[in-house]
Amino acid sequence: MAQRLALQRLLSLPLRGPLASHGRAFGTSARLRSTFNVQDGSDFQDRVLNSSKPVVVDFHAQWCGPCKILGPRLEKMVAKQEGKVLMAKVDIDDHTDLAIEYEVSAVPTVLAVKNGDVVDKFVGIKDEDQLEAFLKKLIGA
Amino acid sequence: SQRAWSGAGLCRGRGGSRGKNEYDLLVIGGGSGGLACAKEAAQFGRKVAVLDYVEPSPQGTIWGLGGTCVNVGCIPKKLMHQAALLGSALKDAQHYGWNISQPVHHTWSVMAQAVQNYVKSLNWGHRVQLQDKKVKYFNVKGSFADPHTVRGLTKAGKETVITADNIVIATGGRPKYPTDIAGAREYGITSDDLFWLKESPGKTLVVGASYVSLECAGFLTGIGLDTTVMMRSIPLRGFDQQMASLVTEHMESYGTKFLKRCFPTKVEKLKSNRLQVTWKNADLNKEETDSFDTVMWAVGRAPDTKTLNLETIGVKTNSETGKIIVDASEATSVPHIYAVGDITEGRPELTPTAIAAGKLLAQRLFGQSSELMDYDNVPTTVFTPLEYGCVGLSEEAAVQRHGSDNIEVYHAYYKPLEFTVAERDAAQCYMKMVCLREREQRILGLHFIGPNAGEVIQGFALGIKCGATYPQMMKTVGIHPTCAEEVTKLHITKRSGLDATVTGC
Repeated sequence: MAQRLALQRLLSLPLRGPLASHGRAFGTSARLRSTFNVQDGSDFQDRVLNSSKPVVVDFHAQWCGPCKILGPRLEKMVAKQEGKVLMAKVDIDDHTDLAIEYEVSAVPTVLAVKNGDVVDKFVGIKDEDQLEAFLKKLIGA
Repeated sequence: SQRAWSGAGLCRGRGGSRGKNEYDLLVIGGGSGGLACAKEAAQFGRKVAVLDYVEPSPQGTIWGLGGTCVNVGCIPKKLMHQAALLGSALKDAQHYGWNISQPVHHTWSVMAQAVQNYVKSLNWGHRVQLQDKKVKYFNVKGSFADPHTVRGLTKAGKETVITADNIVIATGGRPKYPTDIAGAREYGITSDDLFWLKESPGKTLVVGASYVSLECAGFLTGIGLDTTVMMRSIPLRGFDQQMASLVTEHMESYGTKFLKRCFPTKVEKLKSNRLQVTWKNADLNKEETDSFDTVMWAVGRAPDTKTLNLETIGVKTNSETGKIIVDASEATSVPHIYAVGDITEGRPELTPTAIAAGKLLAQRLFGQSSELMDYDNVPTTVFTPLEYGCVGLSEEAAVQRHGSDNIEVYHAYYKPLEFTVAERDAAQCYMKMVCLREREQRILGLHFIGPNAGEVIQGFALGIKCGATYPQMMKTVGIHPTCAEEVTKLHITKRSGLDATVTGC
């Protein structure tokens, strides 16, 4: 509880942010700063499409087993990039219209967004090396 | 083969004023029938929209796109039935050499979450399918403003107005609550809620004699819960009654308690949060009472038409059932307005018939087809702990239609091989075939109680559809060792009065 409050103050996040939705404390502050849950369409516009840094968008669902494996793994690899790339998480049941707009069919679907455009994409689970390559390509390109 | 045009009914809905209305087809209801119709129509390149909206149950339960079957019917029912069967299998397993410590325990929340997650994945799948097939989807509650205009209201109260050349009503049904029992609505749940419970329902009373009641009571018993079924009169009304009795007999030996010829008078909440149910026992002519954790009403389903505003536009409904009256082409009393699925009068309340009817309707409207839906010889299965599958006429219906002198009933009590080593009682494992006595001895109906009844009956449904006869069945070689092979070997008639017990090898 103390950790949650400390982190909340650190980031000035609303209480209904990432921590509240996930109920899971992030291990490191680096991971916290680079990962967030998309709240709605305009939040997506602000923090993903208008982001100065490239963003990987993880479309996932509560009922999706593989998503529970890919999610943390991708977060870890994003954190390793030391702020050069951010990660946005979108629950497709909460944000169905957004998921449909970005043509998500199976989950997990991960989009790479740079300067408002989708520049890369994959569907399903990837291992850490594959994720690192995906992220490095997004940052480098 | 294509049916011939049957007349005026098929001319309707064609050559509608294209361009005046926003959509070629508007479907109200995103369940089995509605989605099938919409997707089929879209295949013909038409502009199609679907409205789907789930009014919360009195207990507050809601669900996503896909209708009753996906969310609160066939799918979660069969999965929970499977959970219960696995429990029995674990008990049998010891006899087959497995070291499993008894008694085995079941955790409701693990099963419920797995089932609910699967259902949610289906909701999403349907959403994606509509998108892929370019069907516009609105999560709104629709009501008619005029024969070509529907008003849709979102949960937040925002209004959308949609116009269409053709409209299909496929809003299905919802479980009924008794109106004359105090506490019924306040304290009771229905199948709408059962599958979405996060915690175990505990000691449960299921009121009703329908397949919903028996199937739910069956799997609740199977997962180890203290379960009672309360029936006012006969079980499975409309089904072959000999088979219905065998089903309930098996459930009794399986552990489900039955309160026969009883009907509830009130439901009260106790301080312990349990529910006290009082009922009248018609046989003993006295009042009885007991307490339960959960009371589930399975006393029938009512069509979802109240808020559609059908009277305003003149769509005729059956005064007794409230269901929409349709002709053989699924047309209502209003031109360009059709209905499919559970909402329609006189049709089976089944997913496959709704889907087939929806698809054929779309093909007739937009695809130059004239084929009508054939509602004869529709096979079905009741997924009670010992399953009952059937196709064609019940023995009673055959007798009524042809006279008992003109039909022959071949029957057999059999024992599934798998039950032998497991030392399981097969007293209710039974099958019968009702045939015409004259000339080719056409098979009118086939009834099977046993494991995997649905799988067994499905294949035979094709035979019945093709007009199979008793001699043809006898020429069909059985697969050994199976339960289904006993169908091909049926030879003892009820008329002979001989003992109908057959043995395997």
